Amino acid sequence: MVFPRNGFSAATKIILITAAVFTAACSHTVRVDGEYPAPVGPQHPLTVGVYLSEGFSNFTYREDSEDRDNWSIDTGRAQKNLFGQVLDSMFKKAIPLSQYPQDLPDDVELVIVPEVRELQFTMPRETGVNIFEVWIKYDMHAYDQQGDSVADWVITAYGKTPTAFLRSREAALAQAINVALRDAGATLYTGFAQVPELKAVLARKQRSLSMKEAEETAD
Amino acid sequence: MFRIVFVLVLAAISGCTTVVIDEYRRSEGELARGDSVVILGRRHSSEYETEPDLIDCVGDRLDNPDRGVRVIPEKQFVDAMYPWFEPRTAPMHLKSLDQLMKIPQVRERLETYGVKYIVWIDGSTETTSSAGSIGCSIGTGGAGCFGFGTWDKESDYEASVWDFRDRELSGKMSADAKGTSYMPAIVVPIPLIARVQNNACKGMAAQLQQFLIPGQPVNTKS
Repeated sequence: MVFPRNGFSAATKIILITAAVFTAACSHTVRVDGEYPAPVGPQHPLTVGVYLSEGFSNFTYREDSEDRDNWSIDTGRAQKNLFGQVLDSMFKKAIPLSQYPQDLPDDVELVIVPEVRELQFTMPRETGVNIFEVWIKYDMHAYDQQGDSVADWVITAYGKTPTAFLRSREAALAQAINVALRDAGATLYTGFAQVPELKAVLARKQRSLSMKEAEETAD
Repeated sequence: MFRIVFVLVLAAISGCTTVVIDEYRRSEGELARGDSVVILGRRHSSEYETEPDLIDCVGDRLDNPDRGVRVIPEKQFVDAMYPWFEPRTAPMHLKSLDQLMKIPQVRERLETYGVKYIVWIDGSTETTSSAGSIGCSIGTGGAGCFGFGTWDKESDYEASVWDFRDRELSGKMSADAKGTSYMPAIVVPIPLIARVQNNACKGMAAQLQQFLIPGQPVNTKS
């Protein structure tokens, strides 16, 4: 492309500015920055490694279908905070891993790796209900010290927020995502021991702890 | 003179809301020194959501430590009890609350807060119908709007009062409010808003206050 030597003409500038304004009007950016509370309840007696990949920690969902406006929804930071906080409180010891599977600490019994499978949302205009809704699906993986898969399970999270007078669509959607992330944390915390393979791991660990305790009492 | 009459008519029309309160009591409220009350919104339905500002409104009107009513703000309580009072995990019945109390850390935290009553509010405010139209135009001579719009709003809330210590339902109350808002536009739109949700909040807070501390005059916080 050859640009005019003296820059763009006045007409071209007006057209470009108008096009930029119209494009900006149809695209929306949402950045979710949530802080989440630590769960209240018992801890599982395991030492786990938590690997939150670069893709997970910087996750941004981009909606660019023809039927809808363009949306860029950055949930990476918020979900990193959530999973870090919940997993840290769930286990006797949780070690954040900056890389995996290299340099795995010796005492790690289980490595937990979450991934975002999909994110969906609906607007009040689309459903006819005065609610913004968000669904997020996570694929959860658990590996042992050797890197072999122990369990794969899915967490489905749902969040909604009612429309409110004079609140922007971006703010309402961010709030619905925050609710969905809290729901993901709740499901992770309450559902972990319900996954059959993980239930078996916890039972084995509990048995070995009981035996160790019995041996110590006998000595 | 005409202006004064016009303003008075507008003020009279804008207050067009009716509120009906119903109540069912199983026991009298009894709050001792140090006891607190939690007011929580039900958020499990996929069709509506109890508005957080309604919960805040009832809590603010009810909170009066000098009279012995200490209300824990909803967000503070739900964060402190995470993840047991989230929409998916919140106890729907008193039996589920019993199950929750089997977790020692949860029981300890609830006892630290001195929770005596948990009040669950379920419902929402919705626009039920609207009519009329307003047109606005802008020209070299100026801008202006002409027309008339009107809409009806309905609030329907039910509060269940759980006695946390005795693990029983102490009572239920409901607040139904209806109101019509008007927006005449003669050059400038003049909104005459019926504060339906706010009136439902006032009615429910007054009733809860009578229930929790019987015999005391109703708080008149504005």
